[in-house]
Amino acid sequence: MPDIIFQSTKHFWPEITLALTFIAAMIFEFATKKRTTGTGILVLLGLAAALVQLPSAPSEPVSIFGGMYAIDPFSTFFKYVIIVTGMVVVLFSFQSQELKKESGHTGEYYCFIAAVTFGMVLMTGSSNLVMIYLSIELVSITSYILAGFSKSLRRSSEAALKYVIFGALSSGIMLYGMSLIFGLTGTLDLSGIRTALASGHAVTTGWSFAALMAAIVLMLAGFGYKVSVVPFHFWTPDVYEGAPITITAFLAVASKAAVFAVMIRFFYVAFFDNMLASTGVYSSFRNVDWSMILAVLSVLTMTLGNFVAIWQDNLKRMLAYSSIAHAGYMLMGVVVMSNFGLSAIMLYFVMYFFMNLGAFYVVMVIADKIGSENIDDYRGFGKRAPIISVGLSIFLISLTGLPPTAGFVGKLFLFSSVMASQFIWLAIVGVLNSVVSLYYYARVLKNMYLREAPDGDESPIVFSKVTSAVVILFIIPNILLCFFYQPVLTFAQRSIAILLPGL
Amino acid sequence: MHHYVGLIVLFPLIGLIVNGLFGRHIRSERVVGWIGSLAVGIPFLVAAAILYGMLGSPVEERSNTVTLFTWIAAGSFQVNAAYQVDQLSILMTLIVTGVGFLIHVYSIGYMHGDRGFWRFFTYLNLFIFAMLNLVLADNYVLMFLGWEGVGLCSYLLIGFWYEKKFAGTSITWTGDAANKAFWVNRIGDFAFMLGMFLIFREFGSLTFSTVMDSASSLAPGNSTMFWITLLLFIGATGKSAQIPLFVWLPDAMAGPTPVSALIHAATMVTAGVYMVARNSLLYALAPDTMMIVAVIGALTAIVAASIGLAQNDIKKVLAYSTVSQLGYMFLALGVGAFTAGIFHVMTHAFFKACLFLGSGSVIHAMHEEQDIRKMGGLAPVMPKTYYTFLISSFAIAGFPPLSGFFSKDEILWSAFSQGSVLLWAVGALAALMTAFYMFRMVTLTFLGTPRWAKDKHPHESPPTMTIPLIVLAFLAVTGGFLGIPAALGGGNALHHWLHPVFERALDRLPTAHEYSHMTEYLFMLVSVVIGVSGFWFGRKIYLANPDADDTFAAKAGGVFRTLSRKYYIDEGYMRGIVNPLVATSDRFLSRVVDTALIDGFVNGLAKVTASFSGVLRLVQTGVVQSYASMIVVGLLLVLGLILLG
Repeated sequence: MPDIIFQSTKHFWPEITLALTFIAAMIFEFATKKRTTGTGILVLLGLAAALVQLPSAPSEPVSIFGGMYAIDPFSTFFKYVIIVTGMVVVLFSFQSQELKKESGHTGEYYCFIAAVTFGMVLMTGSSNLVMIYLSIELVSITSYILAGFSKSLRRSSEAALKYVIFGALSSGIMLYGMSLIFGLTGTLDLSGIRTALASGHAVTTGWSFAALMAAIVLMLAGFGYKVSVVPFHFWTPDVYEGAPITITAFLAVASKAAVFAVMIRFFYVAFFDNMLASTGVYSSFRNVDWSMILAVLSVLTMTLGNFVAIWQDNLKRMLAYSSIAHAGYMLMGVVVMSNFGLSAIMLYFVMYFFMNLGAFYVVMVIADKIGSENIDDYRGFGKRAPIISVGLSIFLISLTGLPPTAGFVGKLFLFSSVMASQFIWLAIVGVLNSVVSLYYYARVLKNMYLREAPDGDESPIVFSKVTSAVVILFIIPNILLCFFYQPVLTFAQRSIAILLPGL
Repeated sequence: MHHYVGLIVLFPLIGLIVNGLFGRHIRSERVVGWIGSLAVGIPFLVAAAILYGMLGSPVEERSNTVTLFTWIAAGSFQVNAAYQVDQLSILMTLIVTGVGFLIHVYSIGYMHGDRGFWRFFTYLNLFIFAMLNLVLADNYVLMFLGWEGVGLCSYLLIGFWYEKKFAGTSITWTGDAANKAFWVNRIGDFAFMLGMFLIFREFGSLTFSTVMDSASSLAPGNSTMFWITLLLFIGATGKSAQIPLFVWLPDAMAGPTPVSALIHAATMVTAGVYMVARNSLLYALAPDTMMIVAVIGALTAIVAASIGLAQNDIKKVLAYSTVSQLGYMFLALGVGAFTAGIFHVMTHAFFKACLFLGSGSVIHAMHEEQDIRKMGGLAPVMPKTYYTFLISSFAIAGFPPLSGFFSKDEILWSAFSQGSVLLWAVGALAALMTAFYMFRMVTLTFLGTPRWAKDKHPHESPPTMTIPLIVLAFLAVTGGFLGIPAALGGGNALHHWLHPVFERALDRLPTAHEYSHMTEYLFMLVSVVIGVSGFWFGRKIYLANPDADDTFAAKAGGVFRTLSRKYYIDEGYMRGIVNPLVATSDRFLSRVVDTALIDGFVNGLAKVTASFSGVLRLVQTGVVQSYASMIVVGLLLVLGLILLG
C-alpha cells in the first residue's frame, strides 16, 4: 500500500502544489489580516508553480492511487486551461472594484480560488465514481461561496442560494445514478464498469437495462447541470448575473472545461467503443441511439441559449446565455466522440478561453467605470473608449465565430468534426445558431458604434494603461489564432490520449 | 546562404511595424525615411549575398526551398509558409529590393513636408513585404497572399492623397482612381483564384515544385492546362495592365510619383510576367494559351504606344509607355522566350523607374504642374534630371548599347524567329512609336523655350532625389550587358543563369527555326533604324513647333482624337458594363430583390425568431421551485425518450 502511494505521488505533484497553495493561503490570510492582495499573489504563485510542473507529466497515460486517478495527456490539456484561467481570474480580481467593496475578506476569496482550481484539476483526472463525486462536490461547495461573495448585493446572495439548492438537487440525482451503476456492475471504477458491461454480467434482463439507462440519464443530468445543458441549465443565468464577474468568468470557462473533461472521460472509458473511435459508437447501448439523445440535447441547449440571449438587456446575463449556447456547441463534439471531435472540443476550449475571458474582462472594467452592465449604457462607447470598444467588438465577433478571429477556427473544426461523422443536420443547426447569435452580439456593436451616448456626452472615458494593455493582450490571440492555430491544434491532437483499461 | 532568405522578408516587416506603430510620434522625417529605406536596403544586401553563394555552387544546387512553418494543414491539403530560392526568384528579389531601396531614398526628398510622411513609408514597406512574398513564395497560396497584398498597397498608395482632385477618365477624385484600380484588379484576381482551384483539383497540391513535377508527365495540348493557364493569364492581365484590363494603370498615376515608379512601373505590374514565367511549364503544355498571351501582348504594346503619342500629362505618357512595355514582356512569354521577358522586366525596371523619378523631379520643380505643353526649356535649370531622363529615354527607345536595346531586340528577334513576322511587325511599329513619344516628351519638357509662367522658379532637386536618378541611369546604361546575344559575341549570361528554371518548359516547346547571324544582324539594324528615326522625328517636329499636336489634330482630327481619348475604351466600359450593372443593381436587385424579397424574408424571419424566443423566455421565471420541477420533468422526458424510443 505505501508503495502505491509513493509511486503515485511522483505524478501527483501539480495537484499537491495546488492543495498546499490553498492551505498556505489560508494560514497567510489568518496571520496577516489586512494585506489581502498578498494572499492573491501567494495564490498566483502557487498556481504558477503547479502550471510549470504540467509539462513534465508523462506522455503515456498512467493510472495512480489504485485506479482512482488518471494522469494522461487528455487531463493535462484541460489542467493547462483550468490553471491558466485561474491565474487570469486572480489577476482580474486585483483590478475589480466590485471586490474591493467587500474589503475585509477578499483574502478568503483568493483562498477559495485556489481550492476550486484544485477541485477542477482533480475532476479532469478522476477515474473512479467516488473520486468524480468528491471532486465535483469540492468544486461545487467552493463555487457556492464564491458566487455569493458580494454579500452586500442582494442578487449575489440570491444567486448563491439558488446555486446551493440546484447544486444539492443535481448532486442527489447524480449520486443516485452512481449508486444504480454500482448496484448493476459492482464496481466504482470506470474501467471496471466497462469490463462488467462488456462481459455482459451487468445487463442481463430488460429491467436491468432500464436501470442502466436510468443511471446514465441521471449521471448525464448531473454533468449537464454543471455545464448548463438544457433542461438542466436554469440556475445559470441567475448565478452568472449575480456572482462577482470574475467568478462568472471563472465558472464559464474553467468549470466548464473541468466538467467536459470528466464527462468525456466517464462516457469514453465506461461506455464507448474506442476501437471504433473514428466512426463513433456508444457500444454499451446497442438498442439506444445515444448519439442522437446527446445531439438533441446539444441542439436544445444552443437553441435555447441563443434565442433567450436575444432578449437580454444586461450584458453579463447575455454572456451567461451565450455560454449556455457555447456548451451546446461543445456538446456536439461529445455527440460524435471521434478523435477529430475530441481534438475539436479541446481546440475550442483554447479559443473560448481567449474570447470569453476577454469579453468578461471588458464588461468588468466598464461596469467598474460606469456602474452598469446594461447594453443601453454602452451607447457611444466606440468614440469614448476606442481601445476597449474595439476589444469588445473583436471578442464578440470571435464568440459569434466569424473570421478573422479565433472563434471562427474553433467553430470550423467543431462543425467539420460533426460533419465528418455524418451528422450533417447537426452542423447545419449549429451554423444557423451562430447566425442567431450574431443578432444579439451585433446589438452591442450597434450601441457602441452607431448610436450616440444618451445625453450627447462625448467626453472620453479614460481607462488605465494596464486595462488597455490587458485588452490588447486578449485581442492578439483572438486574431492570431485564426491564422496560426496549427500549434494549438497539433497540441490538442496529441492530447486526446485518454487512459483506457488494458493500456 | 539561402537559409537566410527569411531575413529578406523580415526587415520590411520590421520597418512596417516600427513606422506603422511609432512613426506618428517620430518627429524627424529623416529617421522615419531611413528606417523605411534601410528596411529595404538591408534585404538587398542579404539577397546579394545569397546570389553570391548561388554563383559559387553547382547549377543543380542553386534551387532551394526554405520552410518557415506549416501554415495550413487540413487533411491532404497542406500549405507551408515557405520560400523558394532559385535563379528566377533571387533575380526578382534583387530588382524589387534594389530599385525599391533607391525609390525609398528618393521618397525622403520627394515626400518632404507631407502630413502623411510616416504613413507613406509604412505603406511602402508593406508593399515591399507583400511583393517579396509574391516572388519568393514556393506555393500558389502564399503567392496569392502577396498578390493581394501588393494590390492592397497599390490601392492605399494610389489614394494616398485621397482628398485631392484628379482628372482621369470619368474620374474626378484621387480616391476614385484607387477604387478603379481595385475593382479592375478584382476581376483579374477572381480569375487567378479560379485558376488556383483548378490546379488544386488537377494536381492535388498548390506547391510549385509538386505541381510542376506532376505536370511534366503531361502531354501538350491538354484542355485543363488550357483553362488553368488562361485563368492565370487573365489574373495577369489585371495586375500587369494588359488588354482588356489595362484601364486602371493610367489612372493609377493619381498616386505620388515614387509610387508610380515603384509599384506601377518597376515591380508590382511585372508580377503577372513573373507569375507566367514561374508557371512556364504549364504554359508550355498549353500552346493555345501561349498564342493568346503573345497576341494580347503585341496588341497591348501597340495600342498603348499609340495612345501615348497623344497624351500631354508627363506621367500619363509614362503610364501608357509602361503598359506598352509590359505588352512586350507578354509577347516574349507568349512566343516562349521566357528569359527575354524576364530580361525586359529587369531593364525596364531600371529605365522606367528612372524616367518616373525624373518626371517626379520635374513635377516637384514645376510645383505640381504635369502638363508637358506648359513646360519646355528645363534642361539648363535641372541638368541632372535632364541627363538621366535623356539617357533612360535612349534606353527605352532601344539605342545600342543601352540596356533597352538588348532586351527589346531579344524580344523582337524571338517574336520573329519563334513566332511570326506579323508579331514582329506589330512589335517593331510599337517600338517606333515608343521612340517617337519619348522624344516628343523629352523635347517638350526640357528643350526649346520655356512656356511656364514667370512666377514659377524651377530648381534642381535635392541630392536624395538626384542620386537615385544617377544610379538608375547608370543601371539603364549597363543593365543590358547581362544579356548580350551570341550574335554580337556576348555570352548572354542571363540566359544561362535562368536556363535551369525554364529548361522543362523549353523542352516542350517546338524548337525555333535556325537563322543565320546575318539575318539577326539585319533585324538589329532595323531596330536601330526604328529607334533613331523615332528619336529624330520626335525631336525635330516638337523642337520646331511645340504646338505640332494642333496641326495633327487639324489634319487628322478623327485619328488624333481617338488616340487622345484612348480609343474610347473607358467610355465603352462605362456604357457597356458599368452603367448597365449599376442600373440593374439599382432598379432590379436593390428595389425588387433586396427590398421586397430579401428584406421581407429576413424581417419575417426576425419576427418569428423574436416571438419564439419570447415564449422561451417565459420559462425562466426566477422561481426556484419551478426550476427544480423543470429539471425533473426534463429528466423524465429524456428517460422516457430512451425507454420508449
